Amino acid sequence: MPEILPVGMAEMRISQPPDVLAVYGVGSCVIVAMYDPKTRIGGLAHIMLPCSSGVQTEKVNPKKFANTAIPLLFQTLAHAGVFRSNVWAKIVGGSEMFPPADGISNSVGKQNVEAVLKALDELGVPIIAKAVGGNSGRSVEFILSSGKMSVSILGEPPKEL
Amino acid sequence: MRDLCTLNQKQLDALRELGNIGCGNAATALAQFLNRRISMSVPNAQILPFSKVAELAGGPEERVMGIYLRVLGKIKGSFLLLMPERTTIRMLKILIPTSTVEIPLKINDFERSCLCEMGNILAGSFLNALSAIVNVPMFNSIPSLAFDMAGALIDSVILGMGDVGDHVLMVETMFTDNQENLKMHIFLLPDPVSLELILSAIGVN
Repeated sequence: MPEILPVGMAEMRISQPPDVLAVYGVGSCVIVAMYDPKTRIGGLAHIMLPCSSGVQTEKVNPKKFANTAIPLLFQTLAHAGVFRSNVWAKIVGGSEMFPPADGISNSVGKQNVEAVLKALDELGVPIIAKAVGGNSGRSVEFILSSGKMSVSILGEPPKEL
Repeated sequence: MRDLCTLNQKQLDALRELGNIGCGNAATALAQFLNRRISMSVPNAQILPFSKVAELAGGPEERVMGIYLRVLGKIKGSFLLLMPERTTIRMLKILIPTSTVEIPLKINDFERSCLCEMGNILAGSFLNALSAIVNVPMFNSIPSLAFDMAGALIDSVILGMGDVGDHVLMVETMFTDNQENLKMHIFLLPDPVSLELILSAIGVN
């Protein structure tokens, strides 16, 4: 039986078949999935914010920020035995749930997506699918036996990504 | 900057009391607006890890109406009202007797505007009570409204606090009306910098 493993905000998790990594009710956060189709090892990072620079706390959680979480996920997968050149990524999230009434948008969601794209580009990891932006929340299940993702929006049947 | 987890019992009690007064005022305003008796649960001020916030609203995939406002002025923060689908429908039928809304919820522009106004009234009365106590004027932005999964609505509101810690301060209460159940949650999330201001204004910093 596949086990469904939830990945909370500012958390990261890697696993292998038959497990399913899941995040329910994603808004402006961005979910980054990385996967090696040969070893079928994959992981999810549940990213909250674009960049850790300028954060003034003693302890910074690297899993929270796009610029630190993505290299960390990549590294963790490499330690687990994936071949770096096999790894692809899929990204989901980055919505703007409450469009501002005055129309002036400075959406964290959009900034998150941009930061994720940049971080993946720097590592040379190709993005093979994405469902980002818009004004709807999403739920995501990442099926490690196939590398497929199931993404659902309220009131609609799940779509395969 | 203060780590939220370091708040002591006295400070939490003081914040809970602030929440109590704010919610009380909001309940009175709602009762006048709807012209019926509204009772409310004792507000609960809590320091919560991000992942636990959605659970309070019935789980991350719970279908809820969210009304979101920014708190503006010297003290800044977020004000979020979450209403389950059922409450939203009841509320709309009280406000607009001719409304034909039903599950699954779909609202028209007029219904949307009514709900925004209700959010405005609740936030305004809540913040008025708070301003009077801490002696700092507070205002609210225009409300923004969304019907979606609770987790998604909450995540987009608490992201702004994510660079300081992994916890939020949340004041939660529930309104109920005798004849019809009007369960809803009010969340007040002061920005971390503003928390210090609030605590010193009420003498517990």
